[in-house]
Amino acid sequence: MSAGAGLENLVDQIISVITNDGRNILGILKGFDQATNIILDESHERVYSTKEGVQQLVLGLYIIRGDNISIVGEVDEELDASLDLSKLRAHPLKPVIH
Amino acid sequence: MLPLSLLKTAQGHPMLVELKNGETYNGHLVNCDTWMNIHLREVICTSKDGDKFWRMPECYIRGNTIKYLRVPDEVIDKVQEEKSRADRKPPGAGGRGRGRGREDGTGGRGAKGMGRGMDDGLARGSTGGRGRGGPGGRTGGSRGGGRGR
Amino acid sequence: MSGRKETVLDLAKFVDKGVQVKLTGGRQVTGTLKGYDQLLNLVLDEAVEFLRDADDPLKTTDQTRRLGLIVCRGTAVMLVSPTDGTDEIANPFVQPDGA
Repeated sequence: MSAGAGLENLVDQIISVITNDGRNILGILKGFDQATNIILDESHERVYSTKEGVQQLVLGLYIIRGDNISIVGEVDEELDASLDLSKLRAHPLKPVIH
Repeated sequence: MLPLSLLKTAQGHPMLVELKNGETYNGHLVNCDTWMNIHLREVICTSKDGDKFWRMPECYIRGNTIKYLRVPDEVIDKVQEEKSRADRKPPGAGGRGRGRGREDGTGGRGAKGMGRGMDDGLARGSTGGRGRGGPGGRTGGSRGGGRGR
Repeated sequence: MSGRKETVLDLAKFVDKGVQVKLTGGRQVTGTLKGYDQLLNLVLDEAVEFLRDADDPLKTTDQTRRLGLIVCRGTAVMLVSPTDGTDEIANPFVQPDGA
C-alpha cells in the first residue's frame, strides 16, 4: 500500500533526490512515509553549471515533502567517490512544470 | 523514522521552511500536525529572489504548500531518544499503539483500522499504524496502517 | 501527544484583528478576521488585495484594491499571519538562507 515501500532498503544509505524544482540533493535517508516525505541527514545540494564545476552546498538535516520529489535514486558510493565533481559540467535541471 | 515524528520533535527549535512558491520562512516551530501544517513563531520571511524580507511575530503555514524543511542537526538524535523512551513504557501508557477501546476487545470503531482518520490526529503521526493489533503492536505500525493523507 | 485535534493554530486569538493571508496562486490579502472554520475558510472584513506584478505574478506591488467583506476558501489558504508586528525589514542574514 505504501508508495514508499521501495525506500525501506535504502534507509541509512546515501540517496540522491531530484526535486520538482530541479535541485539535486544527496543525503542519508533516515526515514520516509506513505506520502514519500523523506528525512535526509547530512544532506548537500549539487549545483550543476556549464561554466564551472559542480558546487556542493551543505544543507544538513532536511525533511523533503513528497509532493516536491521527482526522483529518488540509490547512490553507488564507490562510483560517486571516484567522480571529480570539480571537472563535471552539466546543465542545471529545469523545474517540473505542472 | 517518520518525517512527521522528526518534525514533531523539532517543536521549539528554529527551522527554515521553503514553500512551493519559493518563499522561505525562518522561525521557531510552535506546533505541527499530521498534514504538516505548521505554526511558526518569530518568523523572518524571505521573498523568492531573496531580495525582500519581512518580520512577523507568528504564522500558520498549510502543509501542502511546503517544499522542504531544514531542521537543526541535533533534532534527529532527540527523536531516537524519545522513541526508545516510549518503547520502554508499558503498553497503553500513551505513545505507541493507544488502542482506544480495543484493549478490552470491544473493538469500538474501525476494526479495519481505517475508520475516520481525523480525530486521532497526532496519535497517528507518532505511531504510524492505527493501533491495529492493539497495544504494543508496533510491528504492523509504520507500514500498512495509516491510510493515505 | 499534544492533545490538539484539527488545528495547529487557534485562530480565535486573531478574531477582530488584522490578518494577512496568502492564497495558492499568489494572491495576497489582508483584512480583519471576522470568522473561520476548521477547514480554514476565513471571513475577512474590509479586505484589501495586494495587486501583483503583471510580469511576475508571484511578486506583489504596492498597488491594492479593496474587496470589502470576503470569504477565503480554506483549501486555497496557504499562509495566515497577524498583520500586527509584520514589517518589511532589511536583510537580517549575512547571506539569505545561509543562517
